[in-house]
Amino acid sequence: MLEIQDLCVSVEGKEILKGINLTVNAGEVHAIMGPNGSGKSTLSNVIAGRPGYTVTAGSIRFEGSDLLALKPEERAWAGIFLAFQYPVEIPGVNNSYLLKAGLNALRKQRGEEELDAMDFMQTVREKAKLVELDPAFLSRSVNEGFSGGEKKRNEIFQMAVLEPKLALLDETDSGLDIDALRIVAGGINKLRDPSRAMVMVTHYQRLLDYVTPDVVHVLADGRILTSGGADLARKLEREGYDWLLK
Amino acid sequence: MTDTHDTVAAMVAALSRHEAWRYTKLSPLVAALGAEWWQPADQVADSHTPAPEFDAIPLDGTCDLPAISRQRQATPEGGHDAPFTAQLNRLFARQTTAIRLTDGSHPEQPLLLIQRADGGACYHRHTLEIGAQSAVTLIELFDSGRSEAALCSSHLQITLQPGARLTHYRIQQQAASHHHLGSLQIEQQRDSHYRLHAIELGGGLSRLDLTIHLQQPGAECDLNGLFVLAGTQHADHHLTIDHAAPHCRSRAEYRTVLDGRSHGVFNGKVVVQPGAIRTDSAQHSANLLLSKRAQIDTKPELEIYNDDVQCAHGATVGQLDDEQLFYLRSRGVSEDGARTMLITAFAEAVIMGIRHDPLRQRVEQAVLSKLNNG
Repeated sequence: MLEIQDLCVSVEGKEILKGINLTVNAGEVHAIMGPNGSGKSTLSNVIAGRPGYTVTAGSIRFEGSDLLALKPEERAWAGIFLAFQYPVEIPGVNNSYLLKAGLNALRKQRGEEELDAMDFMQTVREKAKLVELDPAFLSRSVNEGFSGGEKKRNEIFQMAVLEPKLALLDETDSGLDIDALRIVAGGINKLRDPSRAMVMVTHYQRLLDYVTPDVVHVLADGRILTSGGADLARKLEREGYDWLLK
Repeated sequence: MTDTHDTVAAMVAALSRHEAWRYTKLSPLVAALGAEWWQPADQVADSHTPAPEFDAIPLDGTCDLPAISRQRQATPEGGHDAPFTAQLNRLFARQTTAIRLTDGSHPEQPLLLIQRADGGACYHRHTLEIGAQSAVTLIELFDSGRSEAALCSSHLQITLQPGARLTHYRIQQQAASHHHLGSLQIEQQRDSHYRLHAIELGGGLSRLDLTIHLQQPGAECDLNGLFVLAGTQHADHHLTIDHAAPHCRSRAEYRTVLDGRSHGVFNGKVVVQPGAIRTDSAQHSANLLLSKRAQIDTKPELEIYNDDVQCAHGATVGQLDDEQLFYLRSRGVSEDGARTMLITAFAEAVIMGIRHDPLRQRVEQAVLSKLNNG
């Protein structure tokens, strides 16, 4: 589904990613771990198309086509979703309005009919249950005045509504207390699907206690140092990153 | 015939040195429109074509509400009006229409004043008195019957007697070839309440001088402004809020959305007189620039002559937020759609305050179509 080859990325002239190779297949859950500043978030942002990053070498292909040529919205239409590390507050734009616009744009691209207001509300109410989100959230401005936990739950809720092929979860566990972590992880597990891939970027093991990855990669200084199974994450939790960085 | 034109030209020339006219220049307008424009005129016939979507009481000759008295009289000569817009209007508007809503009346329907420019120069001059303990909504629409160049000069003086409450929607939607010089003077007596939503969408050059006199204790005003400008449009609101009595409260919240080479000017001056203790005043101007060539000049001013006051003011100028744009686009909203969403959200803060549903929808539509076409 996703093939990244020799990807080099710089931000404001500083090289952050120094040759990343990564292949993610449908149905797989990958965890990307690594110390702060290693380039984890840069990787997910570049895949989603966030402006401000310069790809200096390499390629990203998604279902065989060149992802880097697409605008952020075109990547969403292709089936890519980024759960933000810091979800943005947008006063005056309400959640259901945004989701309806996004979902209908996606459906249009897939050649499906737009949902009418009734069907849409039914869909979102159902999905809101996945992350135990009060439907009253729908009529509030996007993320405005939400607690950290509510923001992250809202990200997973949006993912559930938009049903992406590839979900990038950027530090979705950061800033969550244990109850919120359980709810968010539960939502992610319910969205695991043989046709869907997920890439979780995380600094800690704790999300992986709830969501067991198929593959774990360790990213440091812009390179993937090693990859392995779920055991690798537990070893990192016990022994830290030092043994890898030596 | 050239006499009045020369008078106006001289007045306008004197303005060019005046701080209040620093960002809005009238000389090109006076030169361009020629002498025949600057003559005393009968007040244009009252418009008898109320916007059909409004269930409203028209304040023209057809008004038959017993609570309203209406008289047309010659404009008294020799009076002195402070802002130039008011002075110009007195010079040329031969008649003044005096309207009064009697004490203690609460009409359910809003009052409607349509001021239409039909080419040439049009002078509208009204006084409106809201009787004690009355409460009413006024919708004032400025539109254009035809698209030939026109000048619309409007002066409205409103008196709120003790305990009166007025919600005033002032919507300027004139054609781009039309120019607007407005003056709005509000006199507020004890415990009266005035709420304004002033929306600037149309016109080439548009200026409003708004003066609020909080004359007696307990008076409150709540002023909300929205400019949505594109192309070479120019809109300028100069506010003066005069706190002349104790325990008065004033609020001003202005938002501008400027695209193309448009130019917005906001000047909000709050004066707190020596006796006006316990004054509570705040004003804020938020501005969104959509293009590199759009310009905003915003200046909140405070003149305070006693210590027992709470006054706040602030201004922000910015562009669309890249993070917000990316967030919306990452959810599948197109770039244009995301921009419109954010701009609309910014403007909605003012539009949502319009509590008259058909009018709010009309303004929302006008703003949207402007964003999509400009």
